[in-house]
This record gives sequence, C-alpha cells and structure tokens, in this order.
Amino acid sequence: MDIGLKESNNGKQDKGYDLEGFRVLIVEDASFVANLLASCLLEMGVGSVVIAENVAAAKEKILENNAVSSEKNIDMILLDWLMPDGTGGDVLKWMRRHKNDIIRFIPVIVCSAYTSTKLVFESRDAGANEVVVKPISAGKISKRMLHLIDHPRPYIQSANFIGPDRRRKDLAFAGEDKRKEEAEIISE
Amino acid sequence: MTTSKIIHRQNKLKAKAGGQEDKQGFIEPKKIALAQSAIDENEENYTDEAQIVLQQINGAWKDLKSNKDKSKESELKKIFYNYANNIKDIAETFEDGLMGYFGNSLRDFSEKLDMSKTAHHTIVQAHIDVMFAAHKTGIKDKEHATAEELKRMLNKAIEKHID
Repeated sequence: MDIGLKESNNGKQDKGYDLEGFRVLIVEDASFVANLLASCLLEMGVGSVVIAENVAAAKEKILENNAVSSEKNIDMILLDWLMPDGTGGDVLKWMRRHKNDIIRFIPVIVCSAYTSTKLVFESRDAGANEVVVKPISAGKISKRMLHLIDHPRPYIQSANFIGPDRRRKDLAFAGEDKRKEEAEIISE
Repeated sequence: MTTSKIIHRQNKLKAKAGGQEDKQGFIEPKKIALAQSAIDENEENYTDEAQIVLQQINGAWKDLKSNKDKSKESELKKIFYNYANNIKDIAETFEDGLMGYFGNSLRDFSEKLDMSKTAHHTIVQAHIDVMFAAHKTGIKDKEHATAEELKRMLNKAIEKHID
C-alpha cells in the first residue's frame, strides 16, 4: 500500500503522522481546560474531538461511540483525574472490565494537576496507558500521543488487573521463578 | 490451566495515522507549534476564567461553612477541593505563578480540612482573600514584592492558627 511515505536512513518516517482520522474523547470537568485541550488537538491535526464533563458523561459517550465498530469510534481518551462525580480511575476500571473489546482497549492518557507518585501508581493500576502532568502544553500532549502510536504495550489480563503491561522495560530477572503457570499469549 | 493472558493488539493507531510498522514516526513540529499557539491565544480569557473559578471557590466555601448536615460534608468538601485544583491547573497553564502557588496551597490544605476547627476556617478564608487580592493586582510573578507580601500575609495566618 502506498501511503506516500519515503523511507529515510535513520529508521524514521519522512512525513509526520496524519491524525485526521483520529477521534479523541476529552473527559474534563473544567470547560475552559476542556476547550483548551480541544483547540490544541484540532490544531495538531486531530480530525474530531468529543467532550464529556464528568464520569457519567464519559461512560455515556464511550457507549454511544464505541458500542460497535464504526468510523465514529473513539480512538483515544484524554482523561482528567479529579471530577465532581468520581475519578478518572472509575472510568478506567469500568472500561478495562468491559465485555466489549472496542471499549475495553481504548488507549487512555490520564491528565492531572495532581503530581503525586500515588496518582501515577493509581492510574497505572487502573489501566492507564500514559500519564501527563498538568499544566497542559502541546509538547507534552503530542509526546504522549506519539508514545501511544509508536510504542503500544501489550495488555495484561489477570485476576486482579486488566491494562497495559506495567513494565516499560524488559529486564532479565536473576531470581527464582515462583510463577506456578505461564501466561497465555494472544495476538489479535 | 492459565489464569493470565498477554494480549498483543494490532497497532490500529499507527495504521490510522499512516505510519509504517517498522518506522518511528513523528508529529509535524509545525502542527505542535500551532497547537501551542491555540493554548497561548486563550491567555486573554484567563483573567476572566480565573475570576469565575475564584467565585466558585468562594461559593463552595460558603456552602461548606453553612452546611449543618454532616452527611453532606464530604461531598461539599470534594466540590471545594475540585475548584481549588482547577484554579491551580489554569493558573499554571498560563504561567500565573502566584495564583498557582495559592491554589496549590489551598488544595493541599483542603485535603486535611476539619470543619470542626475554627482555625481551619480562618486559614481557608485567608487563602481566598489573598487569591482575590492577587487576582486584582494582576501580578503573576510569585517573587514580585507585592506577591511576597501576600504570601507573607497568608503564612502569618497559617502560623497563627495551625495546630
């Protein structure tokens, strides 16, 4: 398929990504910040943006757009953490346990003004793909989006966790392997 | 029997963005600059927005103070905390260091806010007062002499009333 890209010598594409086909859901209770994020994404080339102002509205928009596979599907979510009716973690946990794969595996970037390591671990354990610490900037958002596109991590599904592999590095382990069983590897 | 699964998904985002599987991609720097301009252009609306959020903080605080129903306190505190978080957030986005400083301090304090302690009421009110004052002066630099004076006033209130 010719997608109009030339190969360069350093393993990088010569042409930037075309985000026109992307539909991004912004979940943010502060309308001013939501509009800032929307303008930022649209200028970056994202084709369409949907805004939800709280946890309940986020679930509604996700169900509305991702119930079946279609052009309307949300491809990525920018998720605020603190909202009046719950946290971003509530949205994440609901999504990652959803029976519909089109909802379960939507990539999520958590955006929060709360900078504690506790939040980073909480969002990671709830199934976030990336975390951006506010204040927002185009540089920060684009960097995390790029990471999602270029370095997607496999999803882990176990009794206690469903989400992207929490290990970002593949390091050799020298200790005793105490796992009783091997994980099943699935390619979709 | 296995209980854990490792699921390798097709990279649909990369395909949708017109990327090549084995190549590292990028977002055009020109587009990132345009996106940052879209954020920066909203700076002219920041002052009005900050005023709105300050009024929301003030309103939420009045609701908390006048609340007699203990079962509603946690919900009202959450609303108050959220507004404090919002002012910190927008202030830092537009490099208003002074408002960001007060917003951060108020948000952190509201985490341990005990409505049964009058000293806590005084500390919250001191935060709200200096935030309105800071907004009125329009000073964003937290090292500015007037900013230092406002910070000193707040710290004095905290030191005087903290347990």
